[in-house]
Amino acid sequence: MAPPPQSQRSPSPSQPSGKGEVSDLKSQLRQLAGSRAPGVDDSKRELFKKVISYMTIGIDVSPLFGEMVMCSAASDIVLKKMCYLYVGNYARVNPDLALLTINFLQRDCKDEDPMIRGLALRSLCSLRVANLVEYLVGPLGSGLKDSNSYVRMVAVVGVLKLYHISASTCVDADFPATLKHLMLNDPDAQVVANCLSTLQEIWTLEASTSEEVAREREILLSKPVVYYLLNRIKEFSEWAQCLVLELAAKYVPSDNNEIFDIMNLLEDRLQHANGAVVLATTKVFLQLTLSMADVHQQVYERIKAPLLTLVSSGSPEQSYAVLSHLHLLVMRAPYVFSTDYKHFYCQYNEPSYVKKLKLEMLTAVANESNTYEIDDLLGSITVTELCEYAANVDIPIARESIRAVGKIALQQYDVNAIVDRLLQFLEMEKDYVTAEALVLVKDLLRKYPQWSQDCIAVVGNISSKNVQEPKAKAALIWMLGEYSQDMHDAPYVLESLVENWDEEHSAEVRLHLLTAVMKCFFKRPPETQKALGAALAAGLADFHQDVHDRALFYYRLLQYNVSVAEHVVNPPKQAVSVFADTQSSEIKDRIFDEFNSLSVIYQKPSYMFTDKEHRGPFEFSDELGNLSISAESVDTVVPAQSVEANDKDLLLSTAEKDDGRDPASNGSAYSAPFYDGSSGPAATSQSHGELAVSNTSVSGQTPASSLAIDDLLGLSFPGEVTATPTPPPLKLNPKAILDPGTFQQKWRQLPISSSQECSLSPQGVASLAAPNTLLRHMQGHSIHCIASGGQSPNFKYFFFAQKAEEASTFLVECIINTASAKSQIKIKADDQSSTQAFSTLFQTALSKFGLP
Amino acid sequence: MPVAASAIYFLNLRGDVLINRLYRDDVGGNMVDAFRTHIMQTKDLGTCPVRQIGGCSFFYMRISNVYIVIVVSSNANVACAFKFVVEAVALFKSYFGGAFDEDAIRNNFVLIYELLDEIMDFGYPQNLSPEILKLYITQEGVRSPFSSKPTDRPVPNATLQVTGAVGWRREGLHYKKNEVFLDIVESVNLLMSSKGSVLRCDVTGKILMKCFLSGMPDLKLGLNDKIGLEKESQLKSRPTKSGKTIELDDVTFHQCVNLTRFNSEKTVSFVPPDGEFELMKYRITEGVNLPFKVLPTIKELGRTRMEVNVKVKSVFGAKMFALGVVVKIPVPKQTAKTNFTVTSGRAKYNASIDCLVWKIRKFPGQTEPTLSAEVELISTMTEKKSWTRPPIQMEFQVPMFTASGLRVRFLKVWEKSGYNTVEWVRYITKAGSYEVRC
Repeated sequence: MAPPPQSQRSPSPSQPSGKGEVSDLKSQLRQLAGSRAPGVDDSKRELFKKVISYMTIGIDVSPLFGEMVMCSAASDIVLKKMCYLYVGNYARVNPDLALLTINFLQRDCKDEDPMIRGLALRSLCSLRVANLVEYLVGPLGSGLKDSNSYVRMVAVVGVLKLYHISASTCVDADFPATLKHLMLNDPDAQVVANCLSTLQEIWTLEASTSEEVAREREILLSKPVVYYLLNRIKEFSEWAQCLVLELAAKYVPSDNNEIFDIMNLLEDRLQHANGAVVLATTKVFLQLTLSMADVHQQVYERIKAPLLTLVSSGSPEQSYAVLSHLHLLVMRAPYVFSTDYKHFYCQYNEPSYVKKLKLEMLTAVANESNTYEIDDLLGSITVTELCEYAANVDIPIARESIRAVGKIALQQYDVNAIVDRLLQFLEMEKDYVTAEALVLVKDLLRKYPQWSQDCIAVVGNISSKNVQEPKAKAALIWMLGEYSQDMHDAPYVLESLVENWDEEHSAEVRLHLLTAVMKCFFKRPPETQKALGAALAAGLADFHQDVHDRALFYYRLLQYNVSVAEHVVNPPKQAVSVFADTQSSEIKDRIFDEFNSLSVIYQKPSYMFTDKEHRGPFEFSDELGNLSISAESVDTVVPAQSVEANDKDLLLSTAEKDDGRDPASNGSAYSAPFYDGSSGPAATSQSHGELAVSNTSVSGQTPASSLAIDDLLGLSFPGEVTATPTPPPLKLNPKAILDPGTFQQKWRQLPISSSQECSLSPQGVASLAAPNTLLRHMQGHSIHCIASGGQSPNFKYFFFAQKAEEASTFLVECIINTASAKSQIKIKADDQSSTQAFSTLFQTALSKFGLP
Repeated sequence: MPVAASAIYFLNLRGDVLINRLYRDDVGGNMVDAFRTHIMQTKDLGTCPVRQIGGCSFFYMRISNVYIVIVVSSNANVACAFKFVVEAVALFKSYFGGAFDEDAIRNNFVLIYELLDEIMDFGYPQNLSPEILKLYITQEGVRSPFSSKPTDRPVPNATLQVTGAVGWRREGLHYKKNEVFLDIVESVNLLMSSKGSVLRCDVTGKILMKCFLSGMPDLKLGLNDKIGLEKESQLKSRPTKSGKTIELDDVTFHQCVNLTRFNSEKTVSFVPPDGEFELMKYRITEGVNLPFKVLPTIKELGRTRMEVNVKVKSVFGAKMFALGVVVKIPVPKQTAKTNFTVTSGRAKYNASIDCLVWKIRKFPGQTEPTLSAEVELISTMTEKKSWTRPPIQMEFQVPMFTASGLRVRFLKVWEKSGYNTVEWVRYITKAGSYEVRC
């Protein structure tokens, strides 16, 4: 092959660190390329190894492309493999150079050695360069007909790769039909398996476009195909078996005999050493018998032992995967596992993710019906065991176990013993134990008000100063409000809490405080009046939307009619009989349908984490969800927190239904953040007029805001620029770090302190086309990007910066419209006073963008 | 889609990429950054091995000083992915000869690239059987067996093996001395309450096999498990011999075991892979013989003193002995001084794990050494919280003892050439998680 002219090589931004070495390598490679001296292969190998190792550590060795291709004309297979690897890595960035390799790859595809044929074909398909697809069809076609199964196996996956590069080329060449034929006729099991996975993927993606393909896809699930594959199942590798079993789980048998035939055939798969095969078999069994309740129960009994074995063997990660599935099954049918509860005891050294699942299972098993005496016994055994964990050094697990005791308490009739336990927890004098126990006692009282005397006596001894956690504090305050008539010093405790209003950071606690003071007021008016006044004033001045609204709502309610207010705040309550399930049965069923996949691990159906629109229920998370972290990645990266938030939201929305009568006091029982609409719908819409008046605490806003959110937050002061003291010159920390979760949380909590428009230089707009230029530019000014995205003409960026001396952060949302060369900037800041300085800094930086 | 992994990364503990392989384009090239910033650099590391970041899920595992991360963008099969990682690591180990760590990866990265190419294609697992892969990927990186003399070699036959039905054994093996080694390794898990009642107790066992046999031998293994014995006596229509029979809760087998025959005849018959492999795993919860009983008494004498007495009783045969016995007795964090006497072995206070560590190298059966210690505590004014007592933990190995009582009754080898074989059987019981609350 003729050596490529040097001049063709595109200059690539190689890292300076590797530059010298790369040119060294280049000359050495060139020396060896033509040499036929003995031992030259070995020295080539060494050189190639070096190249690959540079490539691995991230040095750009693409300038060597030509030399590498030249040297690889050798017959040495290891050299070839290394060269293929190199080519596969750089072909996409250098499509022109990739063309050079086509020639020798195509020749290798006709090599007499099947290994080389296969390897060459695999590399050819892995180039992933769109304009080279025409060269793929021929070798793929002959690869599929190759006499050697290794080549066929590679060719089948090659078809899938081709499909992902160019779907139309793949379909036009009629490859799917060839694969279908191959799948049903090839003697080699791995070829068949690869056909199956390829066809499944292609047809699933095509099905939405064509009905014909959708029908084809149905054929995969037809009786002849499924039977054909199942009958050969023992020939398949363990991975291919998973594939076939997955398919079988979707098959709908025509009658019960068929079901039993399949189950008999697959029974022995449950003994397979590979956990994935066992789980896949389990899925087939469960799915097939859904319509036969009694057999379905037997299936549970049958699969129990293999699953428990899998849990206790293998690495913690593997057992976690299995345990998650077991968890799902235990939740569906706890009674089946009632004799196995010992398996769910936690070991001291187990990782906490395993412990957490075990705790939940233990709870579920213990909670199952009270029809049998054994269950009561089991309940008390479990509670004893859980109490052991409550003293655990692993704090999250200790918390979980206290919650678990609570769950059992809420479902069992024999609460007596459990209440004692809880009160013991309160006396343990560990912050987190007290905190969890308080939350629990509150829930318990909502269900069993008759226990109030006992509980209140203990709760009354807890000083609110010792309780720091928001949830626990909220629970304590709720009890103070609800049982203020029985707690002697309730009004005074509340009063002191109101006095420290400004030090209370959690909005949830402030909300509860407002409500509790109101409740207390109606029970003991003279003692509470002062506290109520102070609380309402503080609430009205609060910058948190919900707190403000609720304060306003109470204020107006009191103004309107005190007895109506009393009726609203202190209605006669019914004990909550059943707490809402955290997940709807529909969602549970969907998860069950997706058994043996991530859905089970995440405990939510796949559409919630694979579809973009479902990933987060909040607008903000959606925004972030469609953007990308650091703007470099192709795919979306949402902070994990939004996922949790999603979960919590679900939880909250179902919980809400139950508590409709008492909207003000719920919420704290669940780990949900308080951003629901329970603060009373009446207040939100009409309160804008007065907002500005009450909002004197926030300073430093600029008037230009025209966005609705500002109005909602009540933070814009049209026409009034506050004279802020001149802040010292602002210095930013060039190495600021903020994780997206915190960013998101802060973004949600902080008010907008500045919102402006500024224009961009035309050069700046032009250089926006390259993705990372702006980010690099801003980074030069110590402003970091956390997420970015969008489509022309609108681009959206989220930036953050930190002060050099203190941990005060600025968050920026910046929308750039390339058509108008304008950008909209919204700034939120921990320290409002320096916003102005930061805003100027930011705008200066932005306006310099693109200018030399 | 069972796995369809988009990428696999090997990182060291600092988060540097040792090796990565992108199988698909549906994830960005900087996924590893996402992993570093969202998992490695946060407290979340180790809280859950499966994490979602954006549209991608990360499965990660730490093996010695390496993190192996699989990135998927679809709703993948987690069990399959983890099993894949475990198998892949076993495969690498068989190539490097033992260790799998950062250095091994750095020294063998070309080999690993080669293997990664073969064991997974476009995200779908392919053949992971070391036996077969060694046919065409050799440590020396020599030419493939087909390329040396392509014309006289029966090529289709050789590659049939690559993907064929008896994936775990190649033909034409020959050994001068035909030997089989069987290791029955059991680990006992115990959780005992402070009152001395057994809360939870089970045994997970595995039978490890090392085969050096010529040709294509057929093996049959007989154990003293209840079902197998019953079935046998049924078939031979003679009453079950007396003696201890074991009830296995659950068994899983290596893929070489003929499961159909196990289900119909309850015999374990198989064509073994060459070399070392795990033949079967089992679990037993009934009738476990605990090798050790631990009797602790811990008294808190006032606020600054504690008295610890621990008696460990070995309850296996007097002729046997346990090795490497370690008893870890937890003491409070604020321990200042410890004095102890032991009737056997050595003890010391290890402040980093807040334990008295008592080691007995050789521990004969039917003996009961004791440790008595006096612990002085630093008195602190603020420390009013009571000490939560973690459990006493034990480590040990007892050779020639099985906690389950399982015994190999016979191992038969058939090969068409009819050679003689030598069989070796060893038993050992180890501590799994052996905990006694106090």
